[in-house]
Amino acid sequence: MDTTAESFSSLGAPAKEPQDQSEHLMFDPRPRGEMNDMVMESMKKTSKKFWGVVIFLVLTILFALVGAWGYMIAEGMGVTGLTRPEYWGIFIVDMVFWIGISHAGTFISALLRVMKYEIRRPFTRAAELMTTFGLIQAAICIFMHLGRVWDGFWLIPYPNGRDIWPNLHSPLMWDFMAITTYVIASTMYLFMPLIPDLAMARDRSTGWRKSLYRTLSLGFRGTEPEWKHLKTAMNIFAFAIIPVMFSVHTVVSWDFAMSTRPGWSSTIFGPYFVIGALLSGIAAVMIVLFMIRSTMKNMKYFIRPEHFDFLGKLSLIVSMTWAYFFFNDYLVPWYGGNKFEKLLLDFQSNGPFSYVWVTMLICNIVIPWAILWNKKWRRTPWLMLVTGIVINIGMWIERFIIIPVSLNITRMPFTWRTYHPSIEIPLTIGTFALFMLLYMLASRLIPLIPVWEVQEGQSAHTLRKVGKAVIPTISEVD
Amino acid sequence: MADTLTLLALFSEVDPSVIAIDKLHEMGVADEKLTVISGIPFSQQVLGRPNLRTIIPRLAMGGAMIGLVAALFLIFGIPGLYPLTVGGQPVFPFPPFLIIGFELSMLGLMGTAFLGLLLAGRLPSYEPKIYVPEISDGKIALVFSCSVEQQSQFEDALTSLGAEQVRPVEATTL
Repeated sequence: MDTTAESFSSLGAPAKEPQDQSEHLMFDPRPRGEMNDMVMESMKKTSKKFWGVVIFLVLTILFALVGAWGYMIAEGMGVTGLTRPEYWGIFIVDMVFWIGISHAGTFISALLRVMKYEIRRPFTRAAELMTTFGLIQAAICIFMHLGRVWDGFWLIPYPNGRDIWPNLHSPLMWDFMAITTYVIASTMYLFMPLIPDLAMARDRSTGWRKSLYRTLSLGFRGTEPEWKHLKTAMNIFAFAIIPVMFSVHTVVSWDFAMSTRPGWSSTIFGPYFVIGALLSGIAAVMIVLFMIRSTMKNMKYFIRPEHFDFLGKLSLIVSMTWAYFFFNDYLVPWYGGNKFEKLLLDFQSNGPFSYVWVTMLICNIVIPWAILWNKKWRRTPWLMLVTGIVINIGMWIERFIIIPVSLNITRMPFTWRTYHPSIEIPLTIGTFALFMLLYMLASRLIPLIPVWEVQEGQSAHTLRKVGKAVIPTISEVD
Repeated sequence: MADTLTLLALFSEVDPSVIAIDKLHEMGVADEKLTVISGIPFSQQVLGRPNLRTIIPRLAMGGAMIGLVAALFLIFGIPGLYPLTVGGQPVFPFPPFLIIGFELSMLGLMGTAFLGLLLAGRLPSYEPKIYVPEISDGKIALVFSCSVEQQSQFEDALTSLGAEQVRPVEATTL
C-alpha cells in the first residue's frame, strides 16, 4: 500500500507531508506480525506493580464490597442511610452511573462502525469491555438495593407459587427487560470481533494460554465463509444494539419520570438521561485509554493523541447537548411555577446541597468547555484524563441530585429530610474497585486492541496525489 | 485414481493472490475446490470469487419474531392468567407492550444472529483442520487439492506469481 514515506517521495510530494500523516495510526502501518507481537507482549509482560495494584483492589473489594454487603445482609437495610422519604439512595445513583458508563462501548463501537468512522478501530474493544464490566456493576447495585437479595429472582417472569407473575405494567420490569437485553447483547457484541484476535493469540501461545485461546477462538481460521458470517452478524449487531442502548437509559429514566414526583415527572428525562450517559461514557473511555496507553507496553503505537482529540471533540459536543437538556429541564418547571417544583429547584441550588449542584455545573460544563475547545489540549493525554475524571465526577453528582437530593422534597413537608449515606459509601468504592480489577485482569487475558480491524483499516487507507497536494483517501473494501 | 494431496500457497499481498486464484482456475481448480484463508476479511468482489450467501439475516428475523411472540405472551398472556389491576390502567395494556415487545424482539434478533454465526460458521469446531499460523500474521493462504503428478506444476506456477511458500499440508489440531 502507498502509505509509507517512500510512496510520498515516489509521488514527488513535499517531504513535510509524510511526517504529518504518520502521526495517524491508519497511515503508519506496521507488519501484522509485528502488531500481533506488540499486543501479545502487552498481555504477557506484567510487572510487580501490576500485581500490587491487583492485591490492593482485591483487598478493597473484600472489605468494601463483600464485607460491607455481608454486614448489610446480616443487619438489614437499617444500616444504610435510607429512610422515608429517601428510599432510593446511592445504590440507585451508582446503578444509573454504571449504566451510563456502559453506553460508551456501544456508542463508540457500534455507532462509529455503522457510520464508518475509521478512527474507532484501535479502541473499540477497550470501550466494549467497559460496557460489559459497567453493566456488571449496575447489576450488583440493583441487587444491593434489593436488600433481600435472595428474593431477586422474583423479577424473572416465571409462574410462582403465589399466582402473581411480575407486573409488566411496572417501569421496574421494563428496566429488568432492557438491562437484561443489553447485558446479553453487549457481551455477544464484545465476543464476536474478539474471535479472530483470540485465534491470533492461540497461534502465538503455549501452555494454559494456548488451551484458553484455543477454546475461546472456537476453531476460527479465517476462511471466506467464516469472515462473511462474522461480518454479517457484526453488522446486524451494530445496527440493532444502538436503539437498545438508547432504550436502556430511556427506560432507566422512566423509573423516575413515570412517577408524579416533583423534579422527576418530566417528558425530557429520556433524552436527558441518554445524553448524560453518553457524556460520562465517552469521558470514561478517555480515562481507560489513558490508563492503557500509559501502563501497558507498546500501546503508545495504537492509542495516539489523535484518538484523544477525537474523543475530546465528541465530549465537547455531548457536553453542550447535556447543558441544553439540563437548561430545558430546569427552565420549564421554574417558569411553570408549581409550588413543589419551585421548592425543589430552590432546595437544589440554595439548600444544603447547593455546593454539590454548583460542582455539577462546573464539572459538566465549565471545565470541559474551558479545556476541550483547544486542539492542543485535546491532544494532551494527561489533560484528557483529568477532563474525563472531572466529567465523571460531575455526572455522578448529577445522578445524586436527581435521586436522593430530589427525594428530600416531597408534597408532604413533614417528611422532608436530608439524606446522609453511610454503608453506601464503602459499597460504592467496592463497585469501582471491582470494575478496575475486572478490567486489569481482562487486559492480561484478551487482546485489548482488535489487531485485525487495525490492519483492515490500514490496508484501506492510501494517499493520493491531487495536483500538488497529497490527500488521504479511504477505500471502501467491504 | 491418482493419489492426491492438499497444497497450501501463502501470499503476503492480496493482488498476487487474486491473480493466483485466476491462474488456479485456468489450471482446472474449480472455485468450490479452492479455499481462501486470510488474517483480515476480503470481500468476494475483491477476491473475484462467487458471492457467498449467509442465512444469518433470515435467522435473525426469525429470532425477532420469536421475541415478539414471547413479549405478546408476557404482556397479554400473564394478565389473562393472573389479572392484576393497576390504578386506572387496562388489564391488557398496549403501551408497555411496545417496550417489552421492542426489548424482546431485539434480544431475539441479536441472540439468533449470534447463534446463526455459530451454526453457519460451524463453530465451535476443534477437529484437525488445514491451517498455518502465518495466516494470523496477515498472510493469505490458497488451499486446494491436486494430484501428486501436478504438484510441481502448481508450485512453479504459484511461486512465479509471488507465493512465498507452496507446500503440501495436512489437517492439524489448531
